[in-house]
Amino acid sequence: MARAFRRRGARMVARLDRNEREVIASLMEQTRSLLAPDVPSTGDAFTDLMASLESGATAPEGLPRGTDPGDRDPALARLLPDAHRGDPAVAAEFRRLTEQDLRRRKSDALTASIDALRAEADRDRLSLEPATAQSFLIALTDTRLLMGERLGLRTEEDVDAWEARVEADPDDPLAYAAALYDFLTWLQDGLVGALMGRRAFPDA
Amino acid sequence: MGRQNGAFPASPRAPTLSPVSTAPVKEPEVISLEASELALPWITLVWNDPVNLMSYVVYVFETYFGYPRAKAERLMMDVHTLGKAVVSLGTREAMETDCMAMQGFGLWATFEKNQ
Repeated sequence: MARAFRRRGARMVARLDRNEREVIASLMEQTRSLLAPDVPSTGDAFTDLMASLESGATAPEGLPRGTDPGDRDPALARLLPDAHRGDPAVAAEFRRLTEQDLRRRKSDALTASIDALRAEADRDRLSLEPATAQSFLIALTDTRLLMGERLGLRTEEDVDAWEARVEADPDDPLAYAAALYDFLTWLQDGLVGALMGRRAFPDA
Repeated sequence: MGRQNGAFPASPRAPTLSPVSTAPVKEPEVISLEASELALPWITLVWNDPVNLMSYVVYVFETYFGYPRAKAERLMMDVHTLGKAVVSLGTREAMETDCMAMQGFGLWATFEKNQ
């Protein structure tokens, strides 16, 4: 039985068994495969920056992934949304300057989280260093955004309709995805509460 | 925004606030924008979405902007109930930085010229 994150000294510790950790890690891997930057990191920040600017500015073999908004996976459009509503040129310029960097940061947060999930194979717990706790929050957010988009959760009404459907028929194939999504939601809310020194909101 | 409760909630709704207060009318102690901020030409907006948790949005506003808890919570409630909130004001360059940071946290952020 999982237990939410609690502060243990400087670390954030949750009770999660191996199966639970592996399910989360594999969902995060799927998110990372969507978000991975076009240009792999070289380890040198300046080289990476120049390479990513070049990648955004040119189209070596066809269009760089996601350059054409009509071409984008809707989940990617949610994870890396247009930064200006109403001026496509401003949005495109922002994307050119930031997308590869954002992809790299998000990928790095996912990698740190996946590594933490797989670090202690024989203990039923996940223990995060202070520096990894925020990465884990971001990795959970991006994973839930991806799942939410795949489940069609774009408005609060979508969420209500989806919950009604799963409640009405627990054998609905969506029910398992719903349980996973709710589990990540619960885990994330607990980690936020632990980081902020209290539960941010009481349980409903 | 998303729900706050546990894995298999009995009550699926996020906490809500009544839109009409019956409390005596008084000026709010903290206002969204200082007069000096209104002169700043660009703004960063965060938009409501059904996935991000109310608690997480407060955490992000506190952590990144350094806003006090009360201001972070009020901005979060504006996002949740009004659909969006202006979370920072400044130069275009500063707003691009803030917008990128908010997107890095997974919030649905945009920037634009202040009207």
